[in-house]
Amino acid sequence: MAATRLLRVWLAAALSMMALVAPSAHPDQRPPVPARRAATGTIRGNVDFKVPPVERERRVNPAELGMSPARDSGDRRRSVIYLDPAPRGAFDAREEPHARLDQRDESFVPHVLAIVAGTTVDFPNNDRTYHNVFSLSKTRSFDLGRYAAGHSKAILFDRPGIVRVFCDIHSHMSAFILVFAHRYFAVTDEEGRYHIDNVPPGSYNVVAWNEAMALDSRRAAIPEGGGDIELSFLFEKR
Amino acid sequence: MAATILVAAVLCVPSPATAQTLPSGPIRANDGRLLVSGEVVATMSDTDNIAFFNYTDYEHNALRLFRFSLSGAWQPVRRLAFVGELRTEDLDRPEAYAAYIRFRPWIDKGLDIQAGRIPPSFGVFSRRAYTTDNPVIGYPLAYQYLTSIHTDAVPALAEDLIRMRARGWLSTFPVGNRTPGPGVPLVSAFRWDTGVQAHWKAGIIDATGSVTAGTLSDPHSNDNNAAPQVSGRFSVEPSTGLILGVSAARGAWLSKDVTQLLTSGADGNDYTQTAWGADAEYSRDHWLVRSEMVWSRWRTPLAASAPQGIDIDALAIWAEGRYKLTPRLFAGLRLDHLGFSKIQTSTELLTWEAPVNRVEAAIGYSIQRNLTARIGVQRNDRDAGRVHGRTYLAAQLAYWF
Repeated sequence: MAATRLLRVWLAAALSMMALVAPSAHPDQRPPVPARRAATGTIRGNVDFKVPPVERERRVNPAELGMSPARDSGDRRRSVIYLDPAPRGAFDAREEPHARLDQRDESFVPHVLAIVAGTTVDFPNNDRTYHNVFSLSKTRSFDLGRYAAGHSKAILFDRPGIVRVFCDIHSHMSAFILVFAHRYFAVTDEEGRYHIDNVPPGSYNVVAWNEAMALDSRRAAIPEGGGDIELSFLFEKR
Repeated sequence: MAATILVAAVLCVPSPATAQTLPSGPIRANDGRLLVSGEVVATMSDTDNIAFFNYTDYEHNALRLFRFSLSGAWQPVRRLAFVGELRTEDLDRPEAYAAYIRFRPWIDKGLDIQAGRIPPSFGVFSRRAYTTDNPVIGYPLAYQYLTSIHTDAVPALAEDLIRMRARGWLSTFPVGNRTPGPGVPLVSAFRWDTGVQAHWKAGIIDATGSVTAGTLSDPHSNDNNAAPQVSGRFSVEPSTGLILGVSAARGAWLSKDVTQLLTSGADGNDYTQTAWGADAEYSRDHWLVRSEMVWSRWRTPLAASAPQGIDIDALAIWAEGRYKLTPRLFAGLRLDHLGFSKIQTSTELLTWEAPVNRVEAAIGYSIQRNLTARIGVQRNDRDAGRVHGRTYLAAQLAYWF
């Protein structure tokens, strides 16, 4: 019995070493229901801010000949909640999912994208103008070059980590892709709510990430019989 | 020296992690209505006190330049913005490179009015961001290379012009201000003019026109001849990535201090700089290719032999390209030519200035998104002067936020 518990702790620790940070849950990236229909739980709650997240503005360019159009710089309040360590079986998924990061109205939509490692992200250009999507992040460095409206290019993200995405032409365009080694994560909705479903029983650190804020984490335990847990976060400092 | 200090300061950033403490975007205040951006550029090359191929109208060398600038925009309401840029070169006293008010009469129409020290309407190079849009390190000849002619001194004879060929960094003429000083380029990229500008953009069409106090080659904050310059550019973008433009400008270029010394009875309006320009840009995938042409004609008096003036022309044409080899690494190349018309002296027919050819190549590396290092080589050849040809090796560090 003690040996089983020890093995479970060791496994959880080893798996969490492989996991990293990340946001938004794509519908087809929900944690899988465990093969044996054991009781699972849901961790849900709210993320709020004591200090507002910083907006990213376009670089001041006195050489511009006209007023800059008002742009939606992306919802900076979107946060990512994830489990650390990840539950047992978190790395069993075999499918190769797709996700999408649009270029629209000189913004990346969504501003924060959370995916599981092995996801291919499409970058369609839905603007009249060129964009040049690139990233210098160590997790995944790429440069898609310039392509026009109606065209799309794709990148496979096969390593966990944080990828900052920019446009080489429009300095105010930026986005975050958080690549996880497991599927136990969620991106908050427009009201700051989140839920992570199908969490196996166990004790976890639940971590909240926001681009402008210091990481916050709370302890949570799903009982053996499953059940819901309410866990909310308040970002207080950058 | 200043450049060395700056480079040392920038290199003190030991790792990307530490560099993250530097601003990566504009500083914002007043709920985003006030934005401040900055740029620090250090360019290093060999000393050059004999060939002067890269000297600018501020008597600085474009390949040995430390530049720090702060740009700000305050937009109290949606229709109105105050825009400015303070800039110091080689740690000289900061100057207002840009200072204007921008007004949009109809919020949903692409018409903007700007007044003050405004961006140039003519051509495109002057409006490009130096740190990110320049594929190499140096400037195009049309926007930087100093011809011998002055706005406050004129030749008496054609021979005076010929004598000053290839001496644009420090030339002198017998009528007017006889203090040796730098001549003027075709178009100055180091100073903006003062006046009023209207810009209209609708769909694929972009049009700009302005009335300013100075001229392309000698922008002013104060009018020196009571005669304005009219300039404009019209461009179309027929397909994404392809931009075609034409520009024109005409204005009196000689200072009243010298025209009133002439016996022709002409006033400043008779001595004009007239310029035509054409530009094209095409980009796709990891390629960016541009070409621009500037033709300029100065009506110039020869005080003794032709006080009513003769026409002296210059034509600059260049092509440049950039290719991104990897997300961090890019290569750039520019081929540049500057030619001049011929004038007749008592003994020969010669170009009034010495034609120049320039080839420049550079490799750039993005240390982080807003910190770029470049190294380059530039070859210059000229038909006259104490040095006919010279190759420069240059390096540059540029940081912006």
